[in-house]
Amino acid sequence: MPPREGIYGLLAEFNTPTELVQATEAARAAGYRRMECYTPYPVEEAAEALNVHTNRVPLVCLLGGLMGLTTAYLMETWVNVWSYPLNIAGRPLFSWPAFIIPAYEWTILFAGLSAAFGMMALNGLPQLYHPVFNAPNFRNGATTDKFFLCLEAADPKFSLTDTRAFLEQFPAVSVVEVDH
Amino acid sequence: MASGHEHHGNAHAHHGPRVLPANLAAPEVLTAWRTRLLIAAVLFALLSVPFAFSHEGKNHLLRAYLMGFMTCFGFAGGGLVMLMLQYVSGGKWGLVLRRPLEAMTRTLGLVAVMFLPVLLLMKHLYQWALYPTAEATAQALAAGAIDAEHAMTANAKRVMLSPSAMWFQSLVVFGVLGLFAFLLNKWSLQRDADPEAGTQASYDRWRVKFENLSGPGIFIYVVMLTDAAIVWIKSLDVTWYSSIWGLQFLVGQGYAVLALSILTVILLSRFEPMKSILRTTEQHDLGKFAFAFVMLNIYLTFAEFLIIWSGNVPDEIPWYLNRIHGGWWVVCSADFIFHWVIPFTLLLSRDLKRNKNKMVWLTCWMIFARCVDMFWLIEPNFSDAAGNLHLHNNIGILAYITVPATLLSLWGAFYLTQLKARPLLNLNDPHVEEILEPEHAH
Repeated sequence: MPPREGIYGLLAEFNTPTELVQATEAARAAGYRRMECYTPYPVEEAAEALNVHTNRVPLVCLLGGLMGLTTAYLMETWVNVWSYPLNIAGRPLFSWPAFIIPAYEWTILFAGLSAAFGMMALNGLPQLYHPVFNAPNFRNGATTDKFFLCLEAADPKFSLTDTRAFLEQFPAVSVVEVDH
Repeated sequence: MASGHEHHGNAHAHHGPRVLPANLAAPEVLTAWRTRLLIAAVLFALLSVPFAFSHEGKNHLLRAYLMGFMTCFGFAGGGLVMLMLQYVSGGKWGLVLRRPLEAMTRTLGLVAVMFLPVLLLMKHLYQWALYPTAEATAQALAAGAIDAEHAMTANAKRVMLSPSAMWFQSLVVFGVLGLFAFLLNKWSLQRDADPEAGTQASYDRWRVKFENLSGPGIFIYVVMLTDAAIVWIKSLDVTWYSSIWGLQFLVGQGYAVLALSILTVILLSRFEPMKSILRTTEQHDLGKFAFAFVMLNIYLTFAEFLIIWSGNVPDEIPWYLNRIHGGWWVVCSADFIFHWVIPFTLLLSRDLKRNKNKMVWLTCWMIFARCVDMFWLIEPNFSDAAGNLHLHNNIGILAYITVPATLLSLWGAFYLTQLKARPLLNLNDPHVEEILEPEHAH
């Protein structure tokens, strides 16, 4: 894939989360959708303003759990009935009550791992390069005390001049262009 | 998140703290609900009457009565332990549930009165009460009414299982629980009437006072419940041993009490003041808590089954065989599906936990599931039903539907009376401010 060129988006820097949330809400109201907030700690109002609450992690978690359940149960059945049948105190080879606990443990294990790795995958991690780090003020502030809103050029509504004017109406410390 | 709130707590007018209604009294609609429950109680009582004239009908009425009593006791006693639990654990969920839980504990008097018929008619329920002495047991053995195992275990357990011991243990259980319920309810009103209410000193003083009573209280409750569950229910089969029995009842009570309290606050939230008090956040938390009880309940019941299944000892397995063979397999499977599969799969969903209407249906279902479980625990103890579930010439078994429904409706009416007696929120508590804060979509 050839390297992507041009503008990634416009990055507005704010001093307080309140300003960030207000700007995000306004941007959403104005029709922007391809945007992201960057904060040094979780700001739930920002997530709310971005409307990112429904995601596919629960589905991945559920599927992982079901996979663990069936894998363990079928494996136990295969081992005990066909692969290595043992007569244990005269009980039937298919002793389903005894299979439940390991199957349950595998359900939890697979569900937990799927949730963790699924979350990372859906977040696009691991990610070795992200264009916003091209902005020097982002590198200095994003992990300490600054709050950023990036309106991305991929948004159909994005226009270098209009979007810049839109962002400048807020009390932003700066609005900078971010290159790919 | 605390630092985030400090920065922009008041930034948005529509996100600001809500105002508590001036009138915190329970809504008038409770009177109408109570009337409906009383009508239901009368109807179910009338429906129960014909069973008395069927074959073995009177016995079934009494057994069904015991089941209804134990379910009501589960709400009163379970309400008490949940009330103490929220005092020691703290948390906003506890503040929201406090007044409904207090109302449940104030029904203990009614539940104690409900127990009188069981005490007076105990020889029709418990084999050890029918043959209360060693001589009577020996005669019954000689006459072939009981077998040697029953005779020997009955004699060995006589200290605990005899009519006078039953009276004594029941009095102690109700006396001790009543004392705790009395103190917790009295202090709760005094806490609100505290002249220093609203100050940190007052918060701390009351918090410590409630914690010091509730901590030991939870332990004492578990001991009391273990004893009560053994004498009232487990001793229906005098040969049965189980050391986890008390805990199983404890968790079952927690399951039912949470279901009923969630049902109560959600139904109340259609009206002020609960409309302003109950946030989706707390409802979601309560749903997660109920989910934990669903898991814990199946964990204990299945672990006991698995241990006994693995041991495969002739002393222990008949208890399960009586509850699996002869048609009981249907009830046993239904118990598992109703009690665990359905609430578990549904409560996995975040959206369902946050949905008021769906939670109303689910909590009603959970209370129904408790009744199915109680039926499965009680009825197979009796020789005509052990390993032989049948309706033919045994129509009285349907009393297990009508009699508990009567008692539960009656108890529910009294619970609503108690709920109406106090404001729906305990005001002198630092959590009050927190539940009025804006919600966050977690």
